[in-house]
Amino acid sequence: MAWQDYVHDMQRCTRCSYCKWIPYRYMRNTDFAQGCPSLSRYLWHAYAASGKFNMAYSLLQNRIEIDDTFLDVLYKCNMDGSCDISCKVQQDIEPLQLMQELRIKCVEDGQLIPAHMLVIEGLRKEDNMMQSSKADRGKWAEGLKVKNLTGESAEVVYHAGCRYSFDQELWPVARGGLQLLMNAGVDVGIMGTDEACCGGRAYELGYAGELTKYAEHQMEAFRTAGVKMLVTPCSDCYACFKVLYDKIGKKLGIEVLHITQYLDRLIKEGKLKLTKKVPLTVTYHDPCHLGRLGEPWIHWQGKETKVMGQMIIHDPPKKFRRGTNGVYETPRDILKNIPGLNFVEMYRIKEYSWCCGAGGGVIDAYPDFATWTGSERLKEARAVGARAIVTACPWCKRNFLDAAKETGDNMEVYDIIELVQKAI
Amino acid sequence: MKLSREEYQALENIVGPEYINQEPVIMDTYNQVWGNKFFFDEKHSVRPAAVLLPANTEEVSAAVKVCNKYGILFKAFSSGFEYLSLSLVHSKGILFDLRRMNRIIEIDARNMRAVVEPYISIYRLQLEAAKYGLFTGRIGVGYSAGIIAAECCHHGCQHTMVFTSGYGRNVLGVEWVLPTGEILRMGTADSGGDMFSADGPGFSLRGILRGRTGANGGHGVITKASVKLYPWYGPAEWEQKKKPGEPLCFGQLDSVLDGYRVFVPSFPDLDKTLEASEDLCRAEILCAFGIGIIGTTQMQEGNDEEWAMMQKMTRNIDPAGGMSIANSVVAVIGGQSTRELEYKEKCLRAITEKWGGRFSPILNEPRGLARAFADIMWSNGVNLRSTGDFLPSSSSPDGSPAMLKKLALQEGEVKKRYEEAGAFLTMGSGMRMVSWRPEENLSIGAQGISTAQYDPYDPVSLKAARDFIDELFDPRSPFNRYGVPSRGGCLQIEPVTHIHQNWGPLYDNYDKWLRQIKKMLDPNTVGDWTAYIPPEYPDYAKEGDYVLPSYGKDERL
Repeated sequence: MAWQDYVHDMQRCTRCSYCKWIPYRYMRNTDFAQGCPSLSRYLWHAYAASGKFNMAYSLLQNRIEIDDTFLDVLYKCNMDGSCDISCKVQQDIEPLQLMQELRIKCVEDGQLIPAHMLVIEGLRKEDNMMQSSKADRGKWAEGLKVKNLTGESAEVVYHAGCRYSFDQELWPVARGGLQLLMNAGVDVGIMGTDEACCGGRAYELGYAGELTKYAEHQMEAFRTAGVKMLVTPCSDCYACFKVLYDKIGKKLGIEVLHITQYLDRLIKEGKLKLTKKVPLTVTYHDPCHLGRLGEPWIHWQGKETKVMGQMIIHDPPKKFRRGTNGVYETPRDILKNIPGLNFVEMYRIKEYSWCCGAGGGVIDAYPDFATWTGSERLKEARAVGARAIVTACPWCKRNFLDAAKETGDNMEVYDIIELVQKAI
Repeated sequence: MKLSREEYQALENIVGPEYINQEPVIMDTYNQVWGNKFFFDEKHSVRPAAVLLPANTEEVSAAVKVCNKYGILFKAFSSGFEYLSLSLVHSKGILFDLRRMNRIIEIDARNMRAVVEPYISIYRLQLEAAKYGLFTGRIGVGYSAGIIAAECCHHGCQHTMVFTSGYGRNVLGVEWVLPTGEILRMGTADSGGDMFSADGPGFSLRGILRGRTGANGGHGVITKASVKLYPWYGPAEWEQKKKPGEPLCFGQLDSVLDGYRVFVPSFPDLDKTLEASEDLCRAEILCAFGIGIIGTTQMQEGNDEEWAMMQKMTRNIDPAGGMSIANSVVAVIGGQSTRELEYKEKCLRAITEKWGGRFSPILNEPRGLARAFADIMWSNGVNLRSTGDFLPSSSSPDGSPAMLKKLALQEGEVKKRYEEAGAFLTMGSGMRMVSWRPEENLSIGAQGISTAQYDPYDPVSLKAARDFIDELFDPRSPFNRYGVPSRGGCLQIEPVTHIHQNWGPLYDNYDKWLRQIKKMLDPNTVGDWTAYIPPEYPDYAKEGDYVLPSYGKDERL
């Protein structure tokens, strides 16, 4: 659906402001009750999802035009979907999809964010979102004696993703994840230098064509490699392969798993044994793309109709994505299986988790906002008594590391892979 | 209309450049709120010339003085989720978005009160107050409504009023930036005491501060308020949970919280329901009370799921078998001790028996009672999903139970006509969206609401909604209604000048007094009056017509 097709949603946003908060019934601590980083940081109503509905409706009626302010509001947003979840506790409307379509319109109209143009230029040239050389893509795995699927075959392809491939500080995590699979006897390989971006982050910036291009590329690459399953340690990539490809009709046709899902499977099958004590009090940060945004896409075609006089329903019934079927319990199950680990929950979790700050292109264009958002999460982790925050996405980990460094916070930051390694 | 450079600069000097904005993109997110289609025939009301985010009372005061100097209209809001909360009479007007005034300044447990700033919502205060064994009461418009907005500025009614009284009766003191910019501190704040006057703002000034219907931003800004708190018998903390794989709306308490019990008796007919309700209220045992609309059934995640569930429910619940939701009540009792709870339960059961009531197992299932408890004590949100909007229709006057019963039945008949024409949501057999909300154990009467749910973007439904309200409120109609129609139910349903100008003479010329108050407080008419009263009537309102406000129509962008 194009942005104009959400006109009923624009009209039906009532300004209840639920999009600004986590769902009220789940509030437990008034210091950690806000849901939208953008609104929390920039304050003006426009920065909330409700404001985006208002902007879109004004644009549709030619009351405003896309100018620098419009772009600033639209892009100082993590596209984390918290608003979408809270809104849909009360309403049958689609804030996140509208925001996505507005971004696509901006790109189509040539209304671009300079920092994102650089990233996309790099993507088009080097097939990655990190403005790095394609030739360096497989370096993170050097010395691991892993199959290269451009010349060999394996059941499983391990897709590291752009962040893990080029963020050298995070290489140990990417390598660790792969080693865990190899040590458990999984028939796994990588694409090495030929691994390419999934296209998901470009899509979130509004570059819809890039998603289609990379989806087609990946389909062909995996078909040629003959793999049956894709495992990725990156939540962004997971959501892209699992959800976005399906959304645009380019479903991969192989099983797509986040590494936590595969590790959990290996643990339950007894192929990974967590035996060593890890005496640490940790909390778990749900990556948006593994949680609410990782919920499978639900296709629907139909029309609105009315029953009981004026009650608006859909024919056929429409199932909205409300975050319910994201991956929430699996990472927690792994953590709870680690001996000696003391697991505590934060106040904003699962569907209504606070974003790390890196999403939606914010880390590229507005790093101060990304850092602010991440530091807010570190405060929450501290408030529940955690000494370490654990996540399952390189973008989250990178942003937490930056936020901790920037604010002088000594909170330890782990990927779940690292804790599993410690426990073996 | 943009502010002049000088005007903008004067305001910017007060709040700082980061906290003032006049960009059209931002401004057009400050003029779209529910109800606008009803009032203005479009979603946008007048675009403000600027919006300010003041940090404190002094900034508000200084900005209001600038408004007086340059003739700039102003209005303040907290969450802004209210009819006409953002509307301005003309475009040389600014809004104060008070979100930065966001503190619970004090919870004075000993004197059972809290002092809050405007952006503090009901549920956030509730979470904090419970730690002290205190309770704020529920607000009709949902969790996100501001305490100050509800108690000092607008009309509304809700289900804990039987215990906590009505909104306006809980104000113990205020800090009020008058339309002149002067800061007025009322209650006993200025005599060295804390902000606590049992007569609200003090010396019967409640009528001027808010009256019954609220000034709705029409005469200044309440920047701080001291409000009453009531006993909370439950734990300091609680958790609403759902099972993995369930939608978020399924989150609920495992059971009714310790310290409380919930009962849903059903009665043979409406008469007996209301008789029993009166007895229950007068027994002084209730913490919350609702007729009909607070259900114990699980709220579904969307309209499609709700529709599926309703079809099933209609089959399962047989109104003729005495399990009609319409003739059921939800009663919450609370107590400091088991003995107190047992006494109250005994009273409740005796009254139920006296009026032929019984406790249907379907409506008294433990998890259902836990759901009802959370909904009636805190909120179940605002149901705008079904049709897109609703009108909390007419029977809001405080009044005797007998009067409210008469109004409810009359309204029910009128509403039925519109429902049968397909213009409103129709609940079908046995369901009646009439709610009766007693205050202070019924000692000062009750309020009532019958809700018409309509689709503002369906022309037939929209017209019906306007006709319905016109029909109910006209004092010359067979309803012979008396009393100033209230906001929320619904002063603003018609253009404010129309209702005051045409109906004032029929209501003892109240409008003359109200205009005098407006003139006295706001000599330069800088406080926006779209939901209050103008000092002088403009000439466009015509008797008998449904006149859409002219403001907004000649707006130049």
